[in-house]
Amino acid sequence: MSEEPTGTNIEGEAPDAEPVVETEEATITDDAELERTLGLAGGLSIGIGTMIGAGIFVFPGLAGAEVGTAATASFGVGGVIALLVALPTSELATAMPKSGGGYYFVSRGLGTLAGTVVGLSLWLGLVFATAFYLVGLGFYAIDALAAVGIAVGASAGAVVSVLAVLFGIGFTVLNVTGTENAAKLQNGIVALLLSMLVAFLAFGLLEAFGVVDAGTPPGEAANVWEIVPIMSVAALVFTSYLGFAQVATVAGEMKRPGRNLPLAMVGSVLIVTVLYVLTIFVATNVFTQDALEVAGETAMVEVGRQLLGPAGALVIIVGGLLATMSSANASVLSTSRAIYGVSKDALLPRKASRINLKYGTPHVALGMAGGPVIVLAATRQVQLLAEVASFLHLLMYGLMCVALLSFRRDEPEWYDPDFRVPGGVAIPVVGALASFGLVAFMNLLSIAIGVAIVFVTAGWYFYYARDVRLRGAL
Amino acid sequence: MTRVLVPVEILEGKTVSPGLMSLLVTVDVTVLGYHVLPEQTPPDQARHQYEERATEALEDLSEEFRTAGGKADYRLVFTHHREQTVDRIADEVGARAIAISGVTGDVDRLLVSLSGDVAADRILSFIEELIGNRDIGATLLSAGDSADDNSESGMRGDDRLDAAAKRLRDGGLDVRTERVPNETPFDALVGLLPGHDAVVMGEKAPSFRSFVFDDETDRVASASVGPVIAVRYDPSLDGERE
Repeated sequence: MSEEPTGTNIEGEAPDAEPVVETEEATITDDAELERTLGLAGGLSIGIGTMIGAGIFVFPGLAGAEVGTAATASFGVGGVIALLVALPTSELATAMPKSGGGYYFVSRGLGTLAGTVVGLSLWLGLVFATAFYLVGLGFYAIDALAAVGIAVGASAGAVVSVLAVLFGIGFTVLNVTGTENAAKLQNGIVALLLSMLVAFLAFGLLEAFGVVDAGTPPGEAANVWEIVPIMSVAALVFTSYLGFAQVATVAGEMKRPGRNLPLAMVGSVLIVTVLYVLTIFVATNVFTQDALEVAGETAMVEVGRQLLGPAGALVIIVGGLLATMSSANASVLSTSRAIYGVSKDALLPRKASRINLKYGTPHVALGMAGGPVIVLAATRQVQLLAEVASFLHLLMYGLMCVALLSFRRDEPEWYDPDFRVPGGVAIPVVGALASFGLVAFMNLLSIAIGVAIVFVTAGWYFYYARDVRLRGAL
Repeated sequence: MTRVLVPVEILEGKTVSPGLMSLLVTVDVTVLGYHVLPEQTPPDQARHQYEERATEALEDLSEEFRTAGGKADYRLVFTHHREQTVDRIADEVGARAIAISGVTGDVDRLLVSLSGDVAADRILSFIEELIGNRDIGATLLSAGDSADDNSESGMRGDDRLDAAAKRLRDGGLDVRTERVPNETPFDALVGLLPGHDAVVMGEKAPSFRSFVFDDETDRVASASVGPVIAVRYDPSLDGERE
């Protein structure tokens, strides 16, 4: 295996790779240095900030309506699968602390075809996920409008679409033109959300066990403790666990990557899993399935109202707005990094990673993220968007586990991860099986769209980049 | 030999004034060419597009230093965080001071701030080395509380300033002293800027400045049109840094 990528794409562009030295604080190339500026808190904030919007504020109503309190098991299954993948991802990321995340690992471990499929699927998967967060944001914006006395009445659905599209345009424009550092703001929002949730959940739990009585109706949901429904809900809500791999897309910018990457990825999965399970437990204790179904995407607002009155509803509305915004924004950022990783390797035209001179931002990549997001957000198909996003991510997760196995079997000389998954090949094998297996529990339409995307991306490889060799290169 | 780090926002068309270049001929210089990126932009992506242009500009700049009679090398860094990069490179090259470039012609007189709890000894020996046997004067300033008393040494502020002035005069320098007890060190420094071509001040211990949004040096630099040289806090006085 050669250490350098070789070959060119149809336009004659070759992968852009040069030898670098990675230190704890910077990446050193021949002529320049790239400062690592993200700490552990920044990494956790990207992971948690991306995930929390969906799992806490959008899914409890939808999941609870399906299987009641058994949805705690669905979220638990999602968390276990995420953890099974987060561990191998940590090993790969500490061996290759570079921007591009899962795409980079798969292309180096399994070659250009798998790499192209994963790289382009990661881009599109993030596009679907971002659209999903924006629709969630639209639903919360409607509730916020209602709270200040603006009722939208019968046309609520159309208004959600309009709001989601407007937010999508807003985020894209802000990311192209904004040079203010929003990372501090994002960290603050995540800290605020976490403390709000801990207080809210503590009260909800005390209520659920009868320690305090907020006068909630005796509305325990009828629970469906059966494997198939639990798993199909797990497949639906898996979108709540897509954030940890986004940490890997900024691996090149993380300080002390050997320590901070595994902690940020595994830590954010553990934290959100606990919060999700408790949230769903509280929500299904307050409401019956019917009530959850009626309340839909913003069921948590009603849960807040039942537990703590109008103030509780307000807290959840504000939290929901902040959380879905932070998820959408973090995803837009990851998307442009995913596109950069692929175009650097000549799998997309080099133009895609141009930076504009005026703002210093990657406007082409941001446009390739924002444009399709806006179209998808207008459809308002929460479940479909979520499942396709999960499908495309699960494909990458499974292939990352396989890539790890491939590296382990045939270690390139440069492969020297700071973090190694314990227990030999057991975890990556189970992680890959679980990731691919969860897809089987999805909606047929979601699977069909996902498979179609895979075929299109594979076709792109054969058309555009079949001569590029990435396997085993660093 | 003493090394001074000169950070330059190289792709923003910033450069180093001729006055600062000739002031620094007595020391080794590392020009730090840096480019700050918004968080949307991976540093690697910017490197691909800008590296060549930035390297050319830095080579020209180091060449100008050498033409002026000094010794200079350079580093190029793409970053999201200017302070972190300046600190890291300063540590790595062992810089004793950081020079923030401003506009100035030939430097005839330095304004040296000894206000507050700064390591006067480090500042003075840096001044001695920087001026060497050139015809450049120094004005020593003590303002605020330190002009009255120095609790740490138990020495009166007057005595401290006089001792500093005597030390430099013994080395053959042209020294004036200024005491401004009723103003903050910052205001006093800005008030004395006319008649001086560059400022030398001491950097505060990292533990004191980490929570302040704007570094004192940067505040002075933006108030002054001329260059500001901050003599670095010695990390060895602080035990181990994180």
